[in-house]
Amino acid sequence: MSILIDGATRVVVQGITGAQARFDTEWCIRYGTRIVSGVTPGRGGETVHGVAVYDTMRRALAAHPADASVLYVPGAMVKSAVMEAIDAGIRLVLVTAEYVPLHDVVKIVAAARRAGVRLIGCNTNGVISPGRSKLGGVGGMDPGEIYVPGRIGVCSRSGGMTAEIGLALKQAGIGVSTSVAMGGDLVTGMSMAEYVTLFEDDPETDAVVVFGEPGTRNEQEVAELLGAGRIRKPLVALIAGAFQERYPKGMSFGHAAAMINRSDESASAKRRVLAEAGALVAEALEDIPDLLRRSPSRS
Amino acid sequence: MLRLTEDRAKAWLRARGLPVPDGEPASSADAAARVASDMPGGAVVKALVPAGRRGKAGAVCVVAGADEARAAAGRMLGTTVNGHPVQRVYVEQRISIRSEYYLSFLLSGPQPEVLVSRSGGVDIEDAPASSGPMVRATIDPLRGLTSWDAMELWLRAGLSGAVVPPIGALTARLYEAFCAADALVLEINPLVVDEAGDLSLVGSMMGVDENAFFRHAPWAELARTEALPANPRERSVVIANRELPGGECQYVELDGDIGLLVGGGGAGLYQHDLLLELGGRPANHCVTPPTGSDNRKLKAVLSAILDNPKLRGLLIGFNFAQMARTDIRVRTLVELLDEKGARAAGLPVVIRLFGAGEPDSRAMVAGRANIHYVPRGTSLKDAARLIVRLAAEAGERSAA
Repeated sequence: MSILIDGATRVVVQGITGAQARFDTEWCIRYGTRIVSGVTPGRGGETVHGVAVYDTMRRALAAHPADASVLYVPGAMVKSAVMEAIDAGIRLVLVTAEYVPLHDVVKIVAAARRAGVRLIGCNTNGVISPGRSKLGGVGGMDPGEIYVPGRIGVCSRSGGMTAEIGLALKQAGIGVSTSVAMGGDLVTGMSMAEYVTLFEDDPETDAVVVFGEPGTRNEQEVAELLGAGRIRKPLVALIAGAFQERYPKGMSFGHAAAMINRSDESASAKRRVLAEAGALVAEALEDIPDLLRRSPSRS
Repeated sequence: MLRLTEDRAKAWLRARGLPVPDGEPASSADAAARVASDMPGGAVVKALVPAGRRGKAGAVCVVAGADEARAAAGRMLGTTVNGHPVQRVYVEQRISIRSEYYLSFLLSGPQPEVLVSRSGGVDIEDAPASSGPMVRATIDPLRGLTSWDAMELWLRAGLSGAVVPPIGALTARLYEAFCAADALVLEINPLVVDEAGDLSLVGSMMGVDENAFFRHAPWAELARTEALPANPRERSVVIANRELPGGECQYVELDGDIGLLVGGGGAGLYQHDLLLELGGRPANHCVTPPTGSDNRKLKAVLSAILDNPKLRGLLIGFNFAQMARTDIRVRTLVELLDEKGARAAGLPVVIRLFGAGEPDSRAMVAGRANIHYVPRGTSLKDAARLIVRLAAEAGERSAA
């Protein structure tokens, strides 16, 4: 097993006729992802890398049942595309677009929750269950150079850092069950705590690595789960962005959410609450494999 | 977030039929006098700056007639309020106040929030406890805020009687306006009941989401004409970001001497931490635009980094498995180093860039002693360590 996706997951690509979608779709198919259809309104009847394109999600799903959808539509069109996917009965939606208006984000997040749909992103480069399947551009053209199958779950606020963590693990001979970039925006479909909980409940995951940043309560919520005993598997946390505390409050660096408005949302505060709750806090990527090896399961 | 000045926030609310006092912006003392002369009941002159706490800064003045308005506008124009130059004032019909309340909407998490209080007209942090509770509630983004939800909030805040139904209805309409504007914050302080018993949105402050500017062309235009930073390198990148196609780019100068051309997300944060931890001092923060065939934005950012007189080293550090073409970034670097001549030619540069076009990228810098293209698989930390050492050595050489 893995979380979110595995070799059986059937995937529809929304906005499949765009350049990035074509590119990622080709490499997903080569990796083994079961891409069963694509949707671009007005382009029904075309094919992309052998995948049939439909005008609407309803038509695509009627022809090819699917479990997951990956969106390559621009920020302005994300809300309607996600609502259409939920309406059509998709169970998991991954949104790659960035710069989605926040009023649209909170509506799609609420709609997904109400429908029991898992929403990954926005602003994510994807999720990969090594050796089984991947959604999005994660891993590039040679995911095997970074991700090998294994028993560590990875959840990161940054897409690029999932690659660095995968690489650090691989260089130490450690593989990954699933690695997910949850997106770095202020509001995301699923929270870090929800991903960590999925890993906790996955019999094929032994331990979890999270990458966090300043801003939002994601890491605090993980600490609360640890403190409450809901998470018993070892959890290693790497939290970047402590440098921001040396600069004036409110200055924005990088991800839109990575701005400290409250002192308890700083990188240092997150490290502290995670450590107090029993997480193993890594100073650098290179420390992660050692911490995983040394950590006894707390179960 | 783009913080709108009061005239623009009020124009938006007025256009939706909400009860905003009559008022007009003026960019000269005489123009302010002309506007005030049409306001027999007296006027209020306010400095138009995108900042709160104007009352405390002396930027709000009650006037009787045109002459006083001219004098007040003359005093304000050309000054600086809370760091913003005053180029225009807002002249507004004075409202005689029977009571003042506070209302705000905020979107900064998964659910919008609403705050109401019986005590308005002062900085809300300074409101006395005796004025009743500050009532805070979250709003289901799919359901919205109904007038009966809103009445409930005002009742809890201590209001009663005839004012409750109209203020409930107004609050619900304001929430619709907040959503329609893609606002991240809307603060009405004070929300006034005037002598005639009518509600009036006397204080209105609104900040809007730049990601939604495709729905709000006038505000997009405003953002393009916002004041430019004073630092010439920061200014050039802001201009490039406005005028050139492609994704977002940013450059913020810091006090250190190691230039950073890094990814805008997690890797950027992580490398900044690493440099500090290893004893280096970053010269800038940046958001690198996505790499496409048009490299002008990238060139603008890299040029700003290289023009920083404090620069003693440059780290080009990106995550493993970049889909973006590395050769576009490296070619841009080489061109700029050559363009900028002697000073840039000896600058220590560390490149940690693995991905498409890598063999070409490596060939382009081969034979340049100052450029260190680290071997594939080198960690972010080892690349950071190398630039910290090289920059320190460059510093020692120039000191000697």
